[in-house]
Amino acid sequence: MIAKIFSSCVIGINAYEVTVETDITSGLPGFNIVGLPDIAIKESRDRIKSDIKNSDFAFPAKKITINLAPAAVKKEGSSFDLPIALSILASENVLDSSRMTDYIFCGELSLDGKLKPIRGVLPIAIALPEMDKKRLVLPKENVKEAASVRGIEIYGVSSLKEAVDFINGNISIKPSPGNADISLKKNSSYKVDFSDVKGQEHVKRGLEVAAAGSHSILLIGPPGSGKSMLAKRLPTILSDITFEESLETSRIHSVAGLLSPSKGLIGTRPFRSPHHTISYAALVGGGSNPMPGEISLAHNGVLFLDELPEFKRSVLEVLRQPMEEGAITVSRVSETVTYPSKFMLVTAMNPCLCGYFTDPKRECHCTPYQIQRYLSKISGPLLDRIDIHLEVPRLDLDHLTEKRRGEPSSEIRKRVDKARDMQKTRYKHDGIHCNAHLEPKGLEKHCTMTSEAIELLKLAILELGISARAYDKILKVARTIADLDGKDMIEAHHVSEAIGYRSLDRNLWG
Amino acid sequence: MRGESIAVALLKRKGYRILEANARTPFGELDIIARKNNFIIFVEVKTRLSSSLGPPSLAITRAKGMHIIKNALYYLNKHRLNESNWRIDVVAIKLHNARTIESAEIIENAITVDAYDYRGGWVT
Repeated sequence: MIAKIFSSCVIGINAYEVTVETDITSGLPGFNIVGLPDIAIKESRDRIKSDIKNSDFAFPAKKITINLAPAAVKKEGSSFDLPIALSILASENVLDSSRMTDYIFCGELSLDGKLKPIRGVLPIAIALPEMDKKRLVLPKENVKEAASVRGIEIYGVSSLKEAVDFINGNISIKPSPGNADISLKKNSSYKVDFSDVKGQEHVKRGLEVAAAGSHSILLIGPPGSGKSMLAKRLPTILSDITFEESLETSRIHSVAGLLSPSKGLIGTRPFRSPHHTISYAALVGGGSNPMPGEISLAHNGVLFLDELPEFKRSVLEVLRQPMEEGAITVSRVSETVTYPSKFMLVTAMNPCLCGYFTDPKRECHCTPYQIQRYLSKISGPLLDRIDIHLEVPRLDLDHLTEKRRGEPSSEIRKRVDKARDMQKTRYKHDGIHCNAHLEPKGLEKHCTMTSEAIELLKLAILELGISARAYDKILKVARTIADLDGKDMIEAHHVSEAIGYRSLDRNLWG
Repeated sequence: MRGESIAVALLKRKGYRILEANARTPFGELDIIARKNNFIIFVEVKTRLSSSLGPPSLAITRAKGMHIIKNALYYLNKHRLNESNWRIDVVAIKLHNARTIESAEIIENAITVDAYDYRGGWVT
C-alpha cells in the first residue's frame, strides 16, 4: 500500500512542500530512499528502524521504498525523520494517512523515539499558506518559533508515539495559534544602553548622526578607548525593529539555526561582530550547501568589523556589492540562493600599528612608512562607502571616575526617529529611505545650502584638500545633521560638523 | 553438518517449518530453507568453535551476503515464489570443545539490501 505524508524542506530562506511517499512490497527486506536525499536523510534509515522498534511498533520485514517528491530537487537536513517514520507506519496501516492531507510534519528523531528540535522552522511556517496547508506538526521545542506566523495551527509533539496517537485521535493536542506581537514585544529590550558610556560625547553625537541617516561609520582610536563598547550600543538608538523586519531577520537566523527555541522572534536589531580571521564565505554566505553569512545575520541591524585593517583584503572587498544592493546571491554547483543583507556597517581600527599615533600622552613607535602601510590595508573603494570617520580618543581619569551617567539611549532614539521621519517624507517619491542612499541627482535636489554654507564648503575644499568623493559624503552627512536639527536648509554649522567627520580625508595620517 | 542439525532442531522448536536443507543451486548451496508466518526464510548457519574470532554472526561478510541473496533469488525463481515475502535469517551457534553447545540463537532478518545504492553499487 502506498502512503503519503507531507513535509517541507528549506532552500536558501524559502521553504517548499515535499511529499514523502512510501511503498512496501514483498521481497527481500530492504529500506531505500530516493529523491536526491543528502547523507543526513540517508542515515535516517538506521534512526527510523530503531525508533519504530523502540516506540513499540513493528518494523516491516519487507521491501520499503521511500520517494521524496519532487524528485529532482535536492533535500537536506534531518527534519524528514518524522515524516518518513510516519509514512512507513501509514503504509503498514498503523495510522490513517488520508486524515493528514492538511498537515505538514517535520522533526528529527533520536534512537529512543523522542523528537529533537530542527533548524529552519520559521521559513516553513511562513510558507505554509503557499503550500495550501493549515497545520504544522513539530517537535515541542520549535513551537514558539513557528507560532510567530498568523493564521496557522501548530502542534508540538515530543515523540513518534505521541505523533501517532495524535493522528489516530487517541490524544488531543491544543494547537498554538500565532502570537507574533507578544513574542516580539517580550524580546524587545537591549541589555546595554548608551548611559553606560562615560564621556566620549562627540563620538556619541557622531553615532547619533550615523543612526539618523543610516551612514556607515569608521571609529579610529587607540586600544581601550571604548570603540567596541560604543559600537555595541548603536542598535539601541536605531528605531525599533518592526514586525516585518523581525520576521525577515528571524527567518535568516532560523535557517542558520541561531534562533533560540524558548524565545521565538528576534525583538531587537541584530548586532554581529565577526572576528577578523573570518573567511569570505562566512562573511557573505556560502559553503557547498549555502548558508547565510554574517552580513545576512546582521540584516536590519549592525555589522561591526573591529580591527578593520586585520581583515583579509579579499574578505573586505566582497562587502561592496551587498552593501549597495542590500542582498547577496550565492551561487554554487548545487544551487543558487539569495539572502537579504541590509545592514549598517560600523568599523573600528587603531590609527597605526602600535595604536598610539593619535594619543596625546603616549608615544607612537611607528615609522611614517609603517603608518602608511597600515592605513593602505583598507582599499579606497571600501573607504568610499564609509561616510563618517570618528576619532575616539582615550578617556582621561576625570571622565572615568565621573559619577554622572550619560544620556540614555531612549532619549537619543527619539531624536533619531524624528530625523528618520523627515527623510521618509522627503524621499517618498525617490525610492530610498535615508540620506546615506542619496544618488548624485538626489543630492542636488534635496541638499540645498545657505550661501554661508556654500562658502564654507568651498573654503574647506581649497584649504583642506578634500576630494570630490569626500564632497558628496560631506553633503549627505550635513543633510542628516540638518534633519536632526529640524531644518530644511543646510546651514554653515551643519557643514562644519560634517567636515569634522572626514578626518581620514584631511590627511592627518602619514 | 553438526551445526546444521543443531540449527534445524532450534528452528523447529521456534515454529519454523523446514522445507529443504542443503539445497543446491548453480551458484552454490543454501543451508536451510524454511517457512513461517507466510515468509519464505533462507537460513544461513554459522558455527564457531571458540569466541576468539568474535561472534559467529560476524563471519558473514557483504560478499557472502550477496552470495546468499543470489542463491535465494534463484531458488524463488525456480519454485515460482517471486511474489512472496522472504527474508534471510542467520543461526549463530557457538560450540564448546566441539561437543557441547555454548549458545545458539536465531538472528531474524539478518541480511537486508538497505545498503544498496541507486547508482548501482553496494555501500557499507
